[in-house]
Amino acid sequence: MMLHQSRKVSLSLCLASILLMAACQEKPADSTPGTTGTAGTAAVRVSDVTLGRAIGTDKSISDRTETFRPSDTIYASVATDGSAQSATLRAVWTFEDGQVVDQATHTIVPTSRERTEFHISKPDGWPAGKYKLEVFLNDRSVETKNFEVRAQ
Amino acid sequence: MGIFDKVGKKEEKPRADFSNVKSGSSTTAAEPRPSTESGPTAGTTGRDQTYVVAAGDSLSKIAKRYYGDANQWRRIHEANRDQIENPDLIHPGQQLKIPGA
Repeated sequence: MMLHQSRKVSLSLCLASILLMAACQEKPADSTPGTTGTAGTAAVRVSDVTLGRAIGTDKSISDRTETFRPSDTIYASVATDGSAQSATLRAVWTFEDGQVVDQATHTIVPTSRERTEFHISKPDGWPAGKYKLEVFLNDRSVETKNFEVRAQ
Repeated sequence: MGIFDKVGKKEEKPRADFSNVKSGSSTTAAEPRPSTESGPTAGTTGRDQTYVVAAGDSLSKIAKRYYGDANQWRRIHEANRDQIENPDLIHPGQQLKIPGA
């Protein structure tokens, strides 16, 4: 009887200490205030990035290519799936050794499948060579596209 | 000495000039609604947002976008004192806190 009671006591002590340990654990980092601009974006993903010389009204590429002429306006169409209160897309265009050509950010409120286009042009013509477009979703690199400009 | 100088130096290709590149973007998605409130209304209930600085941005431009008034740039500057010393100098990629309006 005595043995049975002491077992009960030690069991409840053990349980209490487990509960105490759980209560003492740190709160998860997502409780940080002031980050609402990118809240609820986990369900959004970039499903496709295409390059070309022209876009349609639905922001999709109508003249798809990865080889451009110096006089071309270069379009990138970024497809996203999912919905969120806010999602930030960033397009970073670089030339050969990583020299930044341009970078642009567009914040959207996606509700389903959406398309966002980024474009760049250079009035005096693009230097011939190899270029790269890197697309970021909420500051995370999600897609890279290589393309080339060939002299006419 | 002249020979060694030449051997030691790698011929550098001149960097391309992209200073006149024009860029833009548009989307089929809805865009975050910038506040239409004007005037400094500190302590209002709007939520803070985060904005990633893009090339060509200035505090005035960002203020115009979020508050509809470029003169509100000081609010953004105040909220980001820890990372902006000179309000005329912000860098692409910097994450700025935009105080709720």
